[in-house]
Amino acid sequence: MFGYIIVNKPEMKFKEFDLYQSYYCGLCKALKDQSGRRGQLTLSYDMAFLILLLSSLYEPETQLSCQKCVAHPFEKHPARVNQFTAYGADMNLLLSYYKCLDDWEDEHKLTRKIMASSLKKSFHRIAAAYPGKAGIFQENLGRLRRCEKENSKDLDEVSGYFGNIMEEVFAWRKDEWEAGLRRMGFFLGKFIYLMDAFEDVEKDKKAGSYNLFLEDYNREGFGQKVEQALNMMMAECSRAFERLPIVENTEILRNILYSGVWCRYEYVKKNRERNVTDV
Amino acid sequence: MYDPYAALGLNRNATEEEIKKAYRSLSRKYHPDANVNNPNKEQAEEKFKEIQQAYQQIMREREQGASGNYSQGGSGGQGNYWDFGDFFGGFGGFQGQGRASGGDEGSAYQQAASNYIRSGHYREALNVLGSMKERDARWHYLCAIANSGIGNNVAALEEAGRAAAMEPGNPEYQQLYARLQNGGSWYYDRRQSYGSPILGSGDFCMKLCLANLACNFCCGGGGLCCGGVPYC
Repeated sequence: MFGYIIVNKPEMKFKEFDLYQSYYCGLCKALKDQSGRRGQLTLSYDMAFLILLLSSLYEPETQLSCQKCVAHPFEKHPARVNQFTAYGADMNLLLSYYKCLDDWEDEHKLTRKIMASSLKKSFHRIAAAYPGKAGIFQENLGRLRRCEKENSKDLDEVSGYFGNIMEEVFAWRKDEWEAGLRRMGFFLGKFIYLMDAFEDVEKDKKAGSYNLFLEDYNREGFGQKVEQALNMMMAECSRAFERLPIVENTEILRNILYSGVWCRYEYVKKNRERNVTDV
Repeated sequence: MYDPYAALGLNRNATEEEIKKAYRSLSRKYHPDANVNNPNKEQAEEKFKEIQQAYQQIMREREQGASGNYSQGGSGGQGNYWDFGDFFGGFGGFQGQGRASGGDEGSAYQQAASNYIRSGHYREALNVLGSMKERDARWHYLCAIANSGIGNNVAALEEAGRAAAMEPGNPEYQQLYARLQNGGSWYYDRRQSYGSPILGSGDFCMKLCLANLACNFCCGGGGLCCGGVPYC
């Protein structure tokens, strides 16, 4: 997916980081088992967050195993796998497939088309297993596409469509926590969309592609406006998180929600400031 | 009077952490899955529902306590899986009474929009508001609430700011504007309590971070399993 939902590692204890990493390794393993090596390439930390969140909320039975893998052929790594790992892997693949198709249509990158077709088989399996979710993803991606064509500048509307998609990913099942999870996913999705637009604005300007911030970009106070919006999204997401009865892994989850999600933002911001002073 | 704290075996001074822990241990005990062979499983299920409701009630009360007084906000909004209004404590006692400005057409519309908001039908409220030509401070105020109700938090803040600027003496508008701003400021404070993700680290480190992040992009091609550290 996007890679925005990550930890702020220097602020973490080793023990916590290892635990986080073991869910990530579990996701990697599940992707390979469920969707093959091609599927494995879609691995992302975003989904590791969801798996950790759902595992902490529902506290399911979790298998701990030691894995060697392509990245670490000589050392074994602990991998944690449970029912949410399987769910997260499927959602990851579904989203990646749609994103590849989207990139192909947008930028005509052939690699994306090849990637999408290599994921096709797994995609059909998963879309059939979660027909409701696949339908909602498609519908909202269609709306996003229309916004792009119409050159929409409506922050809430455009990012909200991606929010609807993430909301659906977070809503694992119908129960008493569904509303809270949906709320988290919705605002996290809005955050991701805005963050992505913020990061790509210069690139899109050069390429003449659509970007939500194209007009605002050179205006006074643009940075402040974006940061305020991003901050609001994470505030709503985190508020919903704090209402959930989670007592395990809270340090890791809070590290991500209150700090990790800002890593890329700070990086992009600092880079831009430096470019300005260089000129 | 029913005390949700008692249902969890707590007193009102319990910390949020204690509430969550108490809920967890009780819900493990009474969860239907844990009582399949229990001869009194109906009672266990009753109890399970009770602690669930107690937990939700406590969390709601605490949030509303933190954000002002509460009047029963809209509920049962169509197509909403959550009720945003609920999270704002019913907008601090949103009464929704249209201004009695001579009973003209505008105020009738505003009344309709208020009614929609009160019953949690935020989209319908926005439709009504969108069809009005006259846009006074009250209009922006209602627009802010309805937008907040459907998760359009950026627009909600803008509209609330407009209402507050148009009628600086109106406490209702000021209160809503302040509340929407506060929604972000508690988070901002908490965010500051963590070390900055980037400033502490050197240039080389940052490049490494990005290289690592890039590997984790969708279809980035390099997303190897357990790709080491997510960033330095």
